[in-house]
Amino acid sequence: MTGVPLVDFLVVAGLLFAIGLWTALRRTNAIMILMGIELMLNAVNLNLVAFSRYMPGDAMRGMVFALFVLTVAAAEAAVGLAIIILVVRRRGVVDVNKVNLLRG
Amino acid sequence: MDWPLVVFVALAVGILFGAYRVATAQVVTHAALYLAFVLSLVAGMFYLLQADFVAAVQLLVYAGGVMTVIIFAIMLSELSEIRAQAPQNVLQRLMSPYFGILPLLVGLLVFAVIMVAVLRVPWPVAPQAAPADTVTLIGNGLFQTYALPFEVASVLLLGAMVGAIVLTRREGSDR
Repeated sequence: MTGVPLVDFLVVAGLLFAIGLWTALRRTNAIMILMGIELMLNAVNLNLVAFSRYMPGDAMRGMVFALFVLTVAAAEAAVGLAIIILVVRRRGVVDVNKVNLLRG
Repeated sequence: MDWPLVVFVALAVGILFGAYRVATAQVVTHAALYLAFVLSLVAGMFYLLQADFVAAVQLLVYAGGVMTVIIFAIMLSELSEIRAQAPQNVLQRLMSPYFGILPLLVGLLVFAVIMVAVLRVPWPVAPQAAPADTVTLIGNGLFQTYALPFEVASVLLLGAMVGAIVLTRREGSDR
């Protein structure tokens, strides 16, 4: 059977989350920031599915939770990218540092 | 030969390399393609965990739907900002405070905190007995135990769809 301990999945997911956070923080392109957020959500999903496979108890709980995360991520991507396209159309920039209308 | 471990290591290396390239690629389109690569490999990881339904949904929704939307957004946004910026050398990039060393430090700090928490717990080494049919299991769960969150999620999706359409509609085009 599977010779992979649960810790390995957790370490990989932790690294993926850190890289996603790094992406979201170091980029100024709004689309790239959304991509970093997608990476972080995937890391969380990986954790949830791994837990549902390894921990005793109801096997479907983690998978159902992962499906909900996926749903919310899809909704977030749709609305987020719609806002980005709106900003591009109004102001002509994707760079979040140039969208400073509300900066005091 | 421990095949699951071999597959796991291959998937993990692919995922982390792809994610690193998402973080560092100069051209936004390249980063998007690496993101699609990472999302497909995460689906492989789900399959390795014998969550075949979640793997299929991951491929359909993420590698199919979300990636299409992201690539559309890239195509609809300003050309000059999509093109590669003037290449900086690594040292120069690391030294710029907001986009170089600081995000890396924050990422490493979060990873360190997660690892400190994770490595204190004696996690199980062997998985539970594999469920025979995950689709039936998830279907029953969605319509019995989690019926209310399921309906709320459907309302959320509807709201997001209508919101996206309303946001991107051009003014004056509603004849």
